[in-house]
Amino acid sequence: MVIENGKISAPQIGKMIYLAVTPTAILSTPAITYQFAKQDLWISPMWAFSGVIAIWIALSIHRLFPGENLVQAGERILGRKLGKVFGLVILLYYLYLGGVIVREYGEFVVGAFLVQTPLLVVSGSMVLVCAIVVRSGVEIIARFADVFIPVFAMLFLLLIIPLLPDLHILKMLPIMGEGIGPSLSGSVVLQAWFSEFLTVSFLIPFANRAEKVKKSMAITLLAVIVTLVSSNLVTLLLLGELTGNYNYPFLIVARYINLADFFTHLESLFMAIWVLGAFVKICVFFYVTAMGAAQWMNLREYQPIVFPVGFLLLLMSVWVAPNLQELTHALSTSIIFSALTVLVCIPAALLGLAWIRRQWGKKNLQD
Amino acid sequence: MGKTNGFGSRGPRSNQREAERFAHQEENRQLDQALSANLAENVQALQRLYTRCSDVIFHEFCIGNRMEAVLVYIDGLAHIEEVDQHVLAPLQQDFPMDFTLADIRGKIAVSSIKPVDTIVKVLEEISGGNPVLLMEREPHGLAIGLPKWEKRAIDEPSAESVLRGPREGFIESLRTNTALLRRKIRTPHLKIVTMSMGKYTSTQIALAYLEGVAAPSLVEEMTSRLQRIEIDGILESVYIEELIEDNPFSPFPQLLSTERPDVASAYLLEGHVVVLIDGTPSVLIAPITFYSLLQSPEDYYERYVVGTAIRWLRYLFFLISLLGPSFYVAVITYHQEMIPNALLITMARSREQIPFPAIVEALLMESMFEALREAGARLPKQIGTAVSIVGALVIGQAAIAAGIVSAPMVMVVAITGVASFMAPRFTVGIAIRLLRFPVMVLAGFLGLLGLIMGGILILNHLFKLRSFGAPYMAPLAPMQWRSLNDVLWRAPRWLMTKRPHMTGAWNPRRQPHGQRPGPHKGESGD
Repeated sequence: MVIENGKISAPQIGKMIYLAVTPTAILSTPAITYQFAKQDLWISPMWAFSGVIAIWIALSIHRLFPGENLVQAGERILGRKLGKVFGLVILLYYLYLGGVIVREYGEFVVGAFLVQTPLLVVSGSMVLVCAIVVRSGVEIIARFADVFIPVFAMLFLLLIIPLLPDLHILKMLPIMGEGIGPSLSGSVVLQAWFSEFLTVSFLIPFANRAEKVKKSMAITLLAVIVTLVSSNLVTLLLLGELTGNYNYPFLIVARYINLADFFTHLESLFMAIWVLGAFVKICVFFYVTAMGAAQWMNLREYQPIVFPVGFLLLLMSVWVAPNLQELTHALSTSIIFSALTVLVCIPAALLGLAWIRRQWGKKNLQD
Repeated sequence: MGKTNGFGSRGPRSNQREAERFAHQEENRQLDQALSANLAENVQALQRLYTRCSDVIFHEFCIGNRMEAVLVYIDGLAHIEEVDQHVLAPLQQDFPMDFTLADIRGKIAVSSIKPVDTIVKVLEEISGGNPVLLMEREPHGLAIGLPKWEKRAIDEPSAESVLRGPREGFIESLRTNTALLRRKIRTPHLKIVTMSMGKYTSTQIALAYLEGVAAPSLVEEMTSRLQRIEIDGILESVYIEELIEDNPFSPFPQLLSTERPDVASAYLLEGHVVVLIDGTPSVLIAPITFYSLLQSPEDYYERYVVGTAIRWLRYLFFLISLLGPSFYVAVITYHQEMIPNALLITMARSREQIPFPAIVEALLMESMFEALREAGARLPKQIGTAVSIVGALVIGQAAIAAGIVSAPMVMVVAITGVASFMAPRFTVGIAIRLLRFPVMVLAGFLGLLGLIMGGILILNHLFKLRSFGAPYMAPLAPMQWRSLNDVLWRAPRWLMTKRPHMTGAWNPRRQPHGQRPGPHKGESGD
């Protein structure tokens, strides 16, 4: 049963994953990371263990079951009933994460720009637009990623380069003054984001040349790390100890820019970047949820359930937290653990099981 | 039998239709009939078809003073002088006693003579302007290729003028147009397949492509799409365009129409197919990408640096024409902090007196501008200037003085207007002008966010769009590096060694590498 006819290339998968991880990471993580890592804030993104593991799991699963994603492989490994339960857990978690992202997006836009607009209008319009795009298929989302990556990179540089003269290199000293401990504990919150790399498992089946995905994922992981290191570094070198006092330190950085009294207050530019990124991110999560749910229910196509899933997504975004403070708290506590559990540990266990079953099967065959 | 119209009218009306249809079938049967050996019968059949057609002439005469014959032609479509001189004059001389059809053919000093043997073919030839000679005791007629009708001279197409480059344009005659193409591409690989379409107009349509360059699948697809068309008449290329495009609901054109033979030839050389239609100077090119709508032939005739710069200017102003007023509305309504302080004060002062919110102001002025543009375009030149003067006064001066709109808004509208005229193709310019309004409304509701949403929705449509199976936004999305050569910049001729991805995949090699010129080029040891 083919639910999606689109074919995408390995670089497109890389770009989608990049945009599915980076935008919210730039925005939300520096403040949380700073509380643990202090001036070693910029080292934390380099400890991307869960990203490496998630990519490895996704690629191994695809090697064992070519052309199938995590949920489909789960049904093969665990059997029909357990597999369905496993799929439900993964899909509900994706729905939950999608809700968190939509909420983050909404809170950011309402808090920083459209102060008088109701949250539901902001997130509702985004979910609606995403639903329309998700209905168009994975190829279209990939094309958006294709186009937005250069825009994203250009706007990002446009924000960073004017700041270079204002950076104080001394603020990063002492480097690893207390060993690697602080930067490691600062990177714990980032693991939630890196574990989202598991999403690649849902995209590989659509790759026209699956063998190239490995290389493109390596590049993507590197690009994400470089982006986070540079954004954290700029934030740190500009704001120093103030970094931890803001919800969105990088937004403050954008506000700081003043070129010839003309290019001032570029935070709207930052919003543009961020909305574009969040758009692709929501689309990817939305797509995975809708497509996975359609597979899970054995539907012939996923398009009819896109709008219902979008409605759930919007509801979820309201349910995840009563306010921004709770959301930030959840991001630095429970979500890290749930993400690591559902996106890393459970799939790793699944992979281990598959591996054991395979070995066992071989041994049986030899006997 | 189809739907009923009105109460109780079903019976008689359907009977009448049945009768009509029967008569039609009868007529069709007659048309397919072969010519008989009896001249009078043939002439009668033709005269019955051509009743009340005063422009059809049946000229009776005797070949060699012996054999009865009739020359049928349409006055105004056939070249009468030539017919008199080269057909009638030699045929009316004395002939030897027993002459054959071959002898008659030999006597006619015309290069194109075709035998025709059915009524329908006779009709075709006559409508095409070729006089048909019918003879006693002959079940064949001779179609003599001497058509002549009034046509326009070849001149520069006013919608696509260039400073440098050929100044000829297609005209309304299909033959002339194919000749213009053939004169540029002088190879037997240039195939021009003609077909006739339209139940009443029998319009001639030619499909041109370069064999070995255009993908056979593309030619096949185009042929099958053309053959699917059933229509009563074709008066302009857009009739065909609307019946063969991929997405009939899109505001964007999925076929390129041009009046320039050099543009059509350039596309042929890249592996596209061209459809020429008799009776209109605009030809259709497929498949196309979005970017080809933003290219002008001038880009390729200027130096490539200049061509690239102009192309980027065009991209920039394309974005302005789509998003300009929305951006202004968004910034002035929601994001005032983006405006530098000094400018903000001036703007606030100019908006002080204005009773409307920026979005109302923008919608008002933009629709006013569109109205003026439309009025100016449809009026004769003398009145057109009056409209533009009044428009300039009303929009420019009076509206500001009366305190209805602010001066910056007038400026934004004017810039947007100019920007939308920068699109080299009118069709894409008008699509953009149309899409501007919904984006403006979105920006009025949600500021920059709404503008981004609008942009995403438009992009979503463009990404989905296909022109004859080729993605519309390629080579940018999906990314195809090789073809970006002709999108991000206008690469110099010696670097364009490969045809674009979309159509050139069949035969990618355009020219050999290493043709970059230089003072030492061609010397030994280079």
